[in-house]
Amino acid sequence: MEGRQHDDRLTVYGQSFPSRLMLGTARYDSPALLADAIRAADPAMLTVSLRRQLPGSKDSGQAFWNLLRETQRPILPNTAGCLTAREAVNTACMARELFQTNLIKLEVIGDEINLQPDPFGLVEAAVELVERGFQVFPYCTEDWVLCRRLMDAGCEVLMPWAAPIGTGQGPRNPRALRELRERASQIPLIVDAGIGLPSHACQVMEWGFDGVLLNTAVSRALDPVRMASAFGNAVKAGRNAFLAGPMIVQDVAVPSTPEIGRPFRSASPQTP
Amino acid sequence: MSVIVNGHTHPLPEPRTLGALLRSLSPSAPFVVARNGEVVPSRAYEACPIDPGDRIDIVHPAAGG
Repeated sequence: MEGRQHDDRLTVYGQSFPSRLMLGTARYDSPALLADAIRAADPAMLTVSLRRQLPGSKDSGQAFWNLLRETQRPILPNTAGCLTAREAVNTACMARELFQTNLIKLEVIGDEINLQPDPFGLVEAAVELVERGFQVFPYCTEDWVLCRRLMDAGCEVLMPWAAPIGTGQGPRNPRALRELRERASQIPLIVDAGIGLPSHACQVMEWGFDGVLLNTAVSRALDPVRMASAFGNAVKAGRNAFLAGPMIVQDVAVPSTPEIGRPFRSASPQTP
Repeated sequence: MSVIVNGHTHPLPEPRTLGALLRSLSPSAPFVVARNGEVVPSRAYEACPIDPGDRIDIVHPAAGG
């Protein structure tokens, strides 16, 4: 089992990662807290964003940039907040120029209330980004037809939501997520958004998902560093449970202690 | 005669290139620039012309989820 665990790595776009947890970098109370949380979670990648420098602000992102470099973690830039395919493609191109990576977490938001992905804009952007040589991680719903279109576009990983971004509700539609896992059996699936508790992360990993991406559940915990560690352990536990092969659920009770030889009964079976 | 930099009006520099504009603004590195939505590689700043009304976005790394 030790060897099996050791060899069990997440492989996406030909890159292999020892961790199956991806961590967002937003909404921490301080850079130091973020750095400690990264150490505790030991994530495969860190998600980052691009934003305009505010007028009059001296914060150029230099400190954040230095922090990222010190972690030596792969960077997964996002297109957060983009409302059209064009915005997302342009943002991805800027991210590639800045972070020197072809990886992009593609978000095209279709509803500003629940931050639900726009399936039409998502596919449109994915097609163009793949053509331009990006390795696209699309933030999507669990809709099978959408996922198929994204795979047809050339996406080699899908990131279905558990619930709307930042809600911490956990998997809202477990049945559909599990059906997606069954039907999209050949492609890495990373559950992104809506995870609130380590048990949520463990649950989807037990279902056979390949990884979990989360942010707010760690950064807004009372103790983000401890929560980061808890999520790291939960993802590993869920993955190991999936690999171990859970027992089959029974309709009726089955005694775990052997019936044979129980005392105070009238007769015990004879030994041959 | 002006351009829009990060949503704010800014006078056109002379010469009318992205390189001249960036010298006048002195943004702190690291940053990346788009002209009218299209990213401009850093090696192309000096050769990139800018016209009145162009939208220039200068962005830097930020925390994200």
